[in-house]
Amino acid sequence: MSPIVLILIAIGLGVAGWLAGRAKAWSFQTGGDSQRPVARPTYHAWYVAVWILIPVLAFVVMWSFVAPQLVTQSVLASPAAANLPAFGFERESWLSEARAVANGSAPGVFNDGAEGLIEPFREAQGRYSIVGYVLTVLIAFAGGAFAYMRVGPRFQARTKVERTVMVILLLASLVAILTTFGIFASLVFETVRFFSMVSPVDFLFGTFWGPDPMSNPNNPDGSRYGAIPLFWGTIFIGAIIAMIVAIPLGLMSAIYLTQYADPKLRTWIKPALEILAGVPTVVYGYFAALTVAPAIRDAAVAVGFDSASTESALAAGVVMGVMIIPFVSSMADDSIAAVPSAMRDGSYAMGATKSETIRKVLFPAALPGIVAGVMLAVSRAIGETMIVVMAASTAANLSANPLERMTTVTVQIVKMLTGEGSFDHPATLSAFALGFVLFLVTLALNFIALRVVKRFREAYE
Amino acid sequence: MTLIHEKIERDKNAKMIARDVSVYYGSKKAIDEVSIDISPNYVTAFIGPSGCGKSTFLRCFNRMNDTIPVAKVTGHIELEGEDIHSDAMDVVQLRARVGMVFQKPNPFPKSIYDNIAYGPKIHGLGEKKADLDVIVERSLTRAGLWEEVKDRLEDSGTALSGGQQQRLCIARAIAVDPEVILMDEPASALDPIATAKIEELIDELSGRYAIVIVTHSMQQAARVSQRTAFFHLGKMVEYGPTSDIFTNPIEERTKDYITGRYG
Repeated sequence: MSPIVLILIAIGLGVAGWLAGRAKAWSFQTGGDSQRPVARPTYHAWYVAVWILIPVLAFVVMWSFVAPQLVTQSVLASPAAANLPAFGFERESWLSEARAVANGSAPGVFNDGAEGLIEPFREAQGRYSIVGYVLTVLIAFAGGAFAYMRVGPRFQARTKVERTVMVILLLASLVAILTTFGIFASLVFETVRFFSMVSPVDFLFGTFWGPDPMSNPNNPDGSRYGAIPLFWGTIFIGAIIAMIVAIPLGLMSAIYLTQYADPKLRTWIKPALEILAGVPTVVYGYFAALTVAPAIRDAAVAVGFDSASTESALAAGVVMGVMIIPFVSSMADDSIAAVPSAMRDGSYAMGATKSETIRKVLFPAALPGIVAGVMLAVSRAIGETMIVVMAASTAANLSANPLERMTTVTVQIVKMLTGEGSFDHPATLSAFALGFVLFLVTLALNFIALRVVKRFREAYE
Repeated sequence: MTLIHEKIERDKNAKMIARDVSVYYGSKKAIDEVSIDISPNYVTAFIGPSGCGKSTFLRCFNRMNDTIPVAKVTGHIELEGEDIHSDAMDVVQLRARVGMVFQKPNPFPKSIYDNIAYGPKIHGLGEKKADLDVIVERSLTRAGLWEEVKDRLEDSGTALSGGQQQRLCIARAIAVDPEVILMDEPASALDPIATAKIEELIDELSGRYAIVIVTHSMQQAARVSQRTAFFHLGKMVEYGPTSDIFTNPIEERTKDYITGRYG
């Protein structure tokens, strides 16, 4: 018995129900009833189909979990199961081998003892698959009959179908939200494990980062888990250097595109700029590591900074800034374009020049949207991984010199998770704590940004 | 083709004159060879059915049509004898001398004070805060708004009521001391009480500034203006003293419009 067959049966019955519902609805539609029916036949048809499909699909999902267990139980109850080892790994492997042969997914058993179980498995599977088919058809008919009885000239099939559509859409959006919660929960779980080994105070306020995956996992040295250098590196590269590049360039390109560019030119430049957003970050990573970083090092050495590194924070930050330009530019573009043209006309009519109008009227009015765009860009930059993995260093340095090596939270997450430590070693678990902090920070930034955007929208409505 | 009402002789000291002005939106002709003299001493009203081009024509006088890429203006317009399209005339200066008030109140999302101070600042009329204070108070007083807002000059201009916002926009236009004020249906978005205040204000300002007002309300034109031009299908049909246009129009189309037969 496979769920695919059940679903096909369900769809077949659904179609049948659809046709039956429509036929019944047509009969009173054309039956000379003096009152107009409240819903068109298609709605009655969908109503019947929904009442068949949804219970059946719910049953199939449930059955696909329940049926294998029922099969196993019935096999265990059979006389052949008396020879099974009492418990443990061997017993499980006998059962799964016999199940695999019975399913036809394995040619034969490895343990001879499992041979006798194949037949009971076949027999139980056959029995329960018939039960499954029968229940499916029964449920389909019960649902279909219930709905079919209700179909009538005064029945509000249209509103019922409308409500079903709403519920389906709601479920779809819940999936995304529940996934977020799931991610959060798994992070929290591992983070709590980490903090049971290393004190949060050491982690959040310590200034030395150097977890040793080879150390004794039961007695971690809290002073090696100070994440301040990582937070600093992340902020310095993602929120300071990258933004020094991205904000002016993004804003200026947005102003040019909205206010100065010829509409024809705009249709070319805007997509070209947006291509930047589509470049995979790993490609930016190459660019940063192979082109920008050596160039910056050479330039720094040429002006006398002999200590300049090829893995400088500056290289990673600059390339990340370039990557962020389209985000800043497109948010700024939207919010400048959203300023009512009456503002612009009002300023021109006062005798203001174009740049005066932009500086004194458009820019202040668009500022909340621009700020929100910048915050979203920052939250993206600090969560960005590939560029920094390729171009930044893994050395945790607490320094304000952009030519020095620096590392970020995301780089260390990658390093710790791909490192040689065992999975339950605090060095590995520290990746989750870092991820958790990063998650909270980006969540807060996005939240604030959305609030700002919302207030900004209200201002002109 | 020019249809100047015979009862108006050519105004020798006209503030602005337009000769054979046409406006094209792409290939569509929105205004067809209109000529008119704007007197400094009167309120001039442009009336006509929707889409007749009266607003488009109004926007020629401060070259606001320049901001519309597809619009093209031909013909000759003078402000005090200077060609407003000549190279010597800076459009920024022109707009300081010919102010404009729009159909929908459009105060900047700044404080009331900054709304008024905006123009004087960009044109360098008040370098010191004290000078600006004087200009702000004078402009708001002339616009009849001073008493209502003097205690909350730092509040946002957008927080005012619609009628107050429109008077704020008029105050803003006055602040740069223009010679002409163009008003594009200034009361059409307002309720009757606010409208009455705006009309009263237009009356008070009329001695000091040359005012041109576009309106779709004939009653409003009759109440506030001394000269009326009737536009239809991009042409100026008739121009003359308001009382004559309303009581004794020469053109049949004007009469039909005035009596409500169409439009």
